[in-house]
Amino acid sequence: MATADSRVRDPVVGGNSVGKTFAGGTVVALENASFDIEKGSFVSLVGPSGCGKSTLLRLIAGLIEPTSGSLQVHGSKVSAPRQDVAMMFQRATLLEWRTAIENVLLPTEIQRRVTADDRNRAMELLQLVGLGEFAFSFPAQLSGGMQQRVALARLLQTGADVLLMDEPFGALDEFTRERLNIELLRIVGEVGATTIFVTHNIAEAIFLADKVYVMTPRPGRLAQVIDVPLARPRELAVQTSPEFNRLVEDARETLGAL
Amino acid sequence: MPAPAMHGEGRNGVPLRTRRILMHAGIFLTLVLAWEIGARAGYLDPLFYPRPTAIVDSFIRIYITQGNIWRHLYVSLGLVFAGFAAGSILGIVLGSLVGFNALARRFVKPYVLVLEATPRIAVAPLLIAALGFGAQSKIAIIMLVCFFAPFINTLAGVVNVNEEKLELFNSLGASKFQILTKLVLPEAVPVIMAGERLALTASLSGVLVAEFIQRDQGIGSLILIYTRNLNMASAFACIFTLTVVGFLIFKGMEMLDRYIAFWNNETGMARVGAARKARWEN
Ligand SMILES: Nc1ncnc2c1ncn2[C@@H]1O[C@H](COP(=O)(O)OP(=O)(O)O)[C@@H](O)[C@H]1O
Ligand SMILES: [Mg+2]
Repeated sequence: MATADSRVRDPVVGGNSVGKTFAGGTVVALENASFDIEKGSFVSLVGPSGCGKSTLLRLIAGLIEPTSGSLQVHGSKVSAPRQDVAMMFQRATLLEWRTAIENVLLPTEIQRRVTADDRNRAMELLQLVGLGEFAFSFPAQLSGGMQQRVALARLLQTGADVLLMDEPFGALDEFTRERLNIELLRIVGEVGATTIFVTHNIAEAIFLADKVYVMTPRPGRLAQVIDVPLARPRELAVQTSPEFNRLVEDARETLGAL
Repeated sequence: MPAPAMHGEGRNGVPLRTRRILMHAGIFLTLVLAWEIGARAGYLDPLFYPRPTAIVDSFIRIYITQGNIWRHLYVSLGLVFAGFAAGSILGIVLGSLVGFNALARRFVKPYVLVLEATPRIAVAPLLIAALGFGAQSKIAIIMLVCFFAPFINTLAGVVNVNEEKLELFNSLGASKFQILTKLVLPEAVPVIMAGERLALTASLSGVLVAEFIQRDQGIGSLILIYTRNLNMASAFACIFTLTVVGFLIFKGMEMLDRYIAFWNNETGMARVGAARKARWEN
């Protein structure tokens, strides 16, 4: 069922009965999605592939337009890509002919003339993701995990306070992914951004989020919202707690009832 | 710079690389010697297969004592570079224009298919008829054989832009012009360079065809004249000259490719990375 959540105090991203169909209406990628996402919160979207997770992110990013309903960010309607929203993809999508630091600077270059401050900020962000040493390396000289860190620094360089992440570490091995998830929590906490994180891993979704939206396919729907009251900062050990496992069971039940 | 540790050591401590070179040199010398002996003993018709030593004599004559090849070499290479530059620049420019414009793409596609199936050289006599004898028609022939590979490759490079990167640029609110200059063209560079390599090789054949048809000057006409006069040793000397020129051109293009598309090789990345670092720091 759709979830119009009235308990949200300070909504940054909101959707009213958002629907999106493709192929002349024959493919319903997302149906009747209503939600409000609180400022500074971390929201996970979890569900099997094809349930409309990427579609919802691309709608919020303004890359595609809804077929029905409407979306707001910071109270204004989303109609095109905007500077207060930025997106990160499953693949790093770095430009191979640019060094790490030049890749981080790309969003600024697209927005305006690059200043000394922008350059300093880019270097700080590379240090924040632990790649200060590699500022002048090219993507081909970096491991998959390092490339994704550069993409994360680039995401933050946009200055956007709504961060959309579409399975950002999904192509990495599990150890790298867990480490990057922990760092991600630290970094978005430091930056104070509102984050919407897509994954198809239930445990990952719960571990990261304040709130988990469980999605179901055919048609893509927001089926359930799970509040995650686990304390922060979180450590990997929390995943063995009974509370955590109860939340996982909860999500499984919704997804299993397909 | 040689990195001896990287190469394996063969028997007796002789590096494998040296051994391989020695082996090739040995085989080559054996073949040449067999040719020389065969020609002297009368097994090979000296009219068509001149002795290697006779070819060496011809080399000395056309390069040093008579020195007549230089002028022809100069003329031919001048044509090659003029035709190559004009043809490939035209190919790159038209390729990008057509690539960017969906309508132009649809319009041009059938012509491209037809042109692709037609041997370009077949048009050479028509070009001479249209443009008359002289350098223009020769350059036009070279342009014709040079145009296609850069055109097709640029078109392909521009059309096949990476979807994910395009989505990234769109999400950043990039303009069409920014997408073109910061994404599409840089990404197409390696494939455009591959087209340029093909074009340069083709241009060498192009100049020969042009000079076979118009036998006034150039290496092509020189080969034709020597062959007519049954001076096969000199003709061979010209052909080997072209082998060397072709090899140098190929190597030169390879180096240029590695230099321009630096992100596809370690040394290039190290060089440019260091340069960008230096620029950043001041
Ligand atoms: N551009 C598109 N054209 C046609 N169908 C699409 C397009 N994008 C997504 N879909 C379809 O919409 C549904 C949801 O896709 P998506 O949002 O990518 O799911 P997820 O990210 O959860 O795997 C799928 O059935 C998919 O095939
Ligand atoms: Mg997806």
